[in-house]
Amino acid sequence: MRGADYVIKRTGFAVVTVLVAVTLNFILFRLAPGSAVSNLSRVPHATQETRNALKRQFGLDKSRGEQYVLYLRELVHGNLGVSFQNSQPVWKNLKSDLANTIPMVLLGTVFSIVLGTLTGVIAAWRRGTAVEHASVTTALAFYSMPTHWLALMLVILFAGWFPSGGMVDDFLIDPTWFQHVKDVLHHMTLPALTLALVLYGQYTLIVRSAMLETLGEDYILTARAKGLRPWTIVRRHALRNALLPISTLIALSLGYIVAGAILIETVFSWPGIGRGVYQAVIARDYPMLQGAFLVLTLSVVFFNLVADLIYFKLDPRITA
Amino acid sequence: MRRAALALLLVLALLAAGCGGSKKSSSKGEVKEGGTLRLGTSSRIDSLNPFVAFNQDAYTTFMYIYPFLVQYDRNLHFAPDFATKWETSQDGKTWTFHTRPNAKWSDGKPLTAADAAFTINTDVKYQKTTAANAAGLIAHIKNATAPDANTLVIHYEAPVGNVLGQMQQLAILPKHVWEKQAANKGKNLKSFPNAAPIVSGGAFQLTKFKKDEIALFKRNPNFYGPKPHIEGFGLRMFSNDDAMISALKAHELDAIESVPPTAIATVKKAGFVVTQVPAVTENDFIFNSNPKKTAHRELLNPKLREAFEHAINREKITHVVWLDTAKPGASIIPPATGSWHNADVKPASFDIALANKQLDALGYKRGAGGIRVADGHKMSYAVITPNDLTGVDRTFQIIQADFKKIGVNLTQKSLDSSAAFDAITAPDGKYLNFDLALWDWVPLIDPDFMLSVVTCDQYNGWSDTGYCDKAYDAMYAKQGTTLDQDERKLIVHQMQEKLARDRPYIFLNYESWISAHSKGWDGFVSSPQGPFNSLSKQSLTEVHRVS
Amino acid sequence: MSVALQEPGLVEAPRPVRRRAVWQVVRRRPSAAIGLTVLVAIIVVALLAPLIAPYGLHEEVGPVFGHPSWSHPLGLDDGGVDMVTLLMWGARISLVVGFAATLVSMLVGGAIGVLAGYFGRWVDVVLMRITDYFIAIPDVPLMIVVAAIWGPSLFHIIMVIGLLLWTSTARVIRAQVKSVRERVYVQRARSIGAGHVRIIFRHVLPQIAPLLIANTVLTIAVAIFDETALAFLGLGDPSRISLGKVIENAFQRTAVSSGAWWAIVPPGALVALLILSCSLIAQALEDALNPRLRVAHLSARRFRLRPLVGRGSEAV
Repeated sequence: MRGADYVIKRTGFAVVTVLVAVTLNFILFRLAPGSAVSNLSRVPHATQETRNALKRQFGLDKSRGEQYVLYLRELVHGNLGVSFQNSQPVWKNLKSDLANTIPMVLLGTVFSIVLGTLTGVIAAWRRGTAVEHASVTTALAFYSMPTHWLALMLVILFAGWFPSGGMVDDFLIDPTWFQHVKDVLHHMTLPALTLALVLYGQYTLIVRSAMLETLGEDYILTARAKGLRPWTIVRRHALRNALLPISTLIALSLGYIVAGAILIETVFSWPGIGRGVYQAVIARDYPMLQGAFLVLTLSVVFFNLVADLIYFKLDPRITA
Repeated sequence: MRRAALALLLVLALLAAGCGGSKKSSSKGEVKEGGTLRLGTSSRIDSLNPFVAFNQDAYTTFMYIYPFLVQYDRNLHFAPDFATKWETSQDGKTWTFHTRPNAKWSDGKPLTAADAAFTINTDVKYQKTTAANAAGLIAHIKNATAPDANTLVIHYEAPVGNVLGQMQQLAILPKHVWEKQAANKGKNLKSFPNAAPIVSGGAFQLTKFKKDEIALFKRNPNFYGPKPHIEGFGLRMFSNDDAMISALKAHELDAIESVPPTAIATVKKAGFVVTQVPAVTENDFIFNSNPKKTAHRELLNPKLREAFEHAINREKITHVVWLDTAKPGASIIPPATGSWHNADVKPASFDIALANKQLDALGYKRGAGGIRVADGHKMSYAVITPNDLTGVDRTFQIIQADFKKIGVNLTQKSLDSSAAFDAITAPDGKYLNFDLALWDWVPLIDPDFMLSVVTCDQYNGWSDTGYCDKAYDAMYAKQGTTLDQDERKLIVHQMQEKLARDRPYIFLNYESWISAHSKGWDGFVSSPQGPFNSLSKQSLTEVHRVS
Repeated sequence: MSVALQEPGLVEAPRPVRRRAVWQVVRRRPSAAIGLTVLVAIIVVALLAPLIAPYGLHEEVGPVFGHPSWSHPLGLDDGGVDMVTLLMWGARISLVVGFAATLVSMLVGGAIGVLAGYFGRWVDVVLMRITDYFIAIPDVPLMIVVAAIWGPSLFHIIMVIGLLLWTSTARVIRAQVKSVRERVYVQRARSIGAGHVRIIFRHVLPQIAPLLIANTVLTIAVAIFDETALAFLGLGDPSRISLGKVIENAFQRTAVSSGAWWAIVPPGALVALLILSCSLIAQALEDALNPRLRVAHLSARRFRLRPLVGRGSEAV
């Protein structure tokens, strides 16, 4: 029952975390100076009546406690509220934003895993040589670069080869499915590459550590003595050991990446959730912000839970 | 984002110098029909619903997809759009518009005066609730009727002077689409997404819209007006100027709405045509002018304000922030409005020594750190700045450095626009807390709106100064009811002089509108709002490729 | 991106180390030495900026985006100000934010970690739950919201960054404190009646110091990064020129499309250098303190079991 216990405990905790985060978000936004109504009601001849009507419409005339209860109730029904900016359901806005961010983020993550694993393996293999130092230092160097700055560097470098912004060439009239995919991938290259370069360093280090831990074991020495080729040893034993931390890292990163894409989306005018959050902040669009935070928190909690469960499943040394 | 983009932008910007000297676009070379114009903008269309939208680009979209009764021509006179001619009754309370016969919406349904009447009546009915956006346009309207398919009659409660100006901004909506939204006490008016493809009555149809990405338009075959040369156009929205200009240089775009001053040289060098036209946008330095303010009352002293003006280096600001594409100015009504501008209101000279002398004469001695002391406290003030105002940080730095030389310490309080406005009106619309601010205005052509923002009853409305002066209010009321244009102009000029003496604002400069397009296109109608504007449908109906 | 370079759960508790071990690690490993040198050099230049900056910070010495020349090796920015001057002053503010935010983070995280690890049981459970809540909150969006809503003063920025970065510190410290707590000499101290505070300060803290240092250095790096991110999104304190603000100014004034690469590349490179130096130092410490990484049977050169630091019973 140890296993089920652990799973239940972790899941239960995840749920509580979400609730607390939601409440904290609500408090944070409603306490803030600068109300959405003052923005929305600055129309000519806006009388006090108009302002009151706007307040009523957005439920801002009720007490904070009432607003909170209302919000929770709507949440249970799957209603995230209506955006102040375009009066559309928040979920609809979020959906279209997420649909744009996720492919780009996934592509970047895949690049970074591949690149990180390769460089990590090489670094561990060539332990103590210049190659290892170069590999680790380069990985750290890219990791140290501010994301938005690296994005701008790539724009400067690849101007003319890759588009510097946007998700599709909107003037491509009636493209075939193949053309469309090609177009999107073309636009996605630089943003995904930026993400990959900034993130791969983590994988390099993790893979390297994990491999070094394994490579120091006696049974590796035995295998080598028996005449097994190094690559076979790496593949069969060392990489396996790296699987655990890599999976954990992937799960954890995915939770945060969506939020971190804000900088990349700003530079590349990518119409995703990062840009959406930023615009919602400027416009004091509380429903959008609360909805976005809910989604982001959910993703972090969910992936943390996944990471915990992976860790638990793959590493028999961990007890609940 | 300028205030224009935030506020209900019913901005009518006029071309320079009244009815003369306007730039006519001439076609060089042959007109090539067809093609799709690719436009870039660094602002956005926030909503396709006219009852919700705030941003200028949304209003320009409406200009092109919906019929309007009248529009401005390139000389800023009112020209027919959906209405071909119009008359007023003797008492000025009834306006009759004759609309185009046999017009159709893009879905084939008839477009008649009934649609116009429906739109106006809906706006009037729900002006206090969901149609608040349009409340200014239909002010004083009792109702509108359509006795036949081509006649629209609007009944006013009182004679209104700028009916045409208001109707120029009122988009006529298709009754057969919006009728059901207006049911249920009009509650659905704002939540209707009005998603693409939109039933259109204007020159173009909106066929595709992706929020913050692209709006694609195609020619409306049923348009009652002149057929556009282009088959369609697209408005691509960028989150920053850099990306937009890179796209232009890479020939992913044919034209861009506005070019930041630092990029003019680059764009020209890349072989694009750059157009610069005086705009009405003006930048200002604001004093809290609420006569009832409690703290720092020395700032209410007109002599102090004059001294402060002598410490503001408009030339430097224009040079560094605007790269000399703006013009220093002092009056609240900009020159681009034509003869409404009082050219006798001139900026005070930049003279630190004089400013120091004047402050010395007022008895503000220098204290610790060289900062003057007034009424027992240091002359150290916070300046509220909205963080989306172009060049505001540099402007502030320049002013701050110069004010140090006259013994006044300024600190910057950067807030985003809604927080900034709240800070100015705090507490609760009483204008008691703030001292100074920096902001901008985009006036209309008709000076009424701009002159109204400093009246007493704009507290918590448009006022960002807290200025309230009975004599000024009397002048404002008078010009609003003076029918003789020359007499009215006189009063407007006098009002500008009074404001220049009282200085609720120190106006810094008037901007220019700079846009760019590739050499392969011509026919743009330039205006202070750029090639893509909500003044008329002319720019995009006349634009064409050149061979 | 603020996912910590080391996932706390993957770092094993080290055996006891002596204080000098940290310095020895740095001396022996070239990457750490380089990192430390660069970091110290930048700090010194930043400290001396008011004295050694070639031009005034707000002094217009040429045209907007003036090209690099002999008198201005890195060109001019969008206000005609010398870039080298900007970099020196910018580094000051960036470092101030980095260190101040880290201080906040260390104090909060350290306190929570020590308390949770030392007292265990329900104190541990409660504190760790709180920590987990904070980890779940998406930090960059939250920073944006707080900075936009509460106002972009330097103080707010420092507090916001500091109050979101303490979680990794808390976790690392808790793990260390827990393991140290079980050590024999601590038990001995308890049995002779030494108070909790004394034990914490005299016995526990010195043992966790090396990893604490590694964590601190990393936190500084992340804090500097977060500041540039906030500045880039227009939420930095506009009255202070930090490196992030320099990048943002250039970006807003279309430096990239105007071809003024010198306005963007140097400030970002300096930030990257700062973060890299911190990372190298932290990485070296982490490497040295993790005993499992010393041997690799596959490498071309066969390694003997050679301690990286110290001799005999003091071997690390």
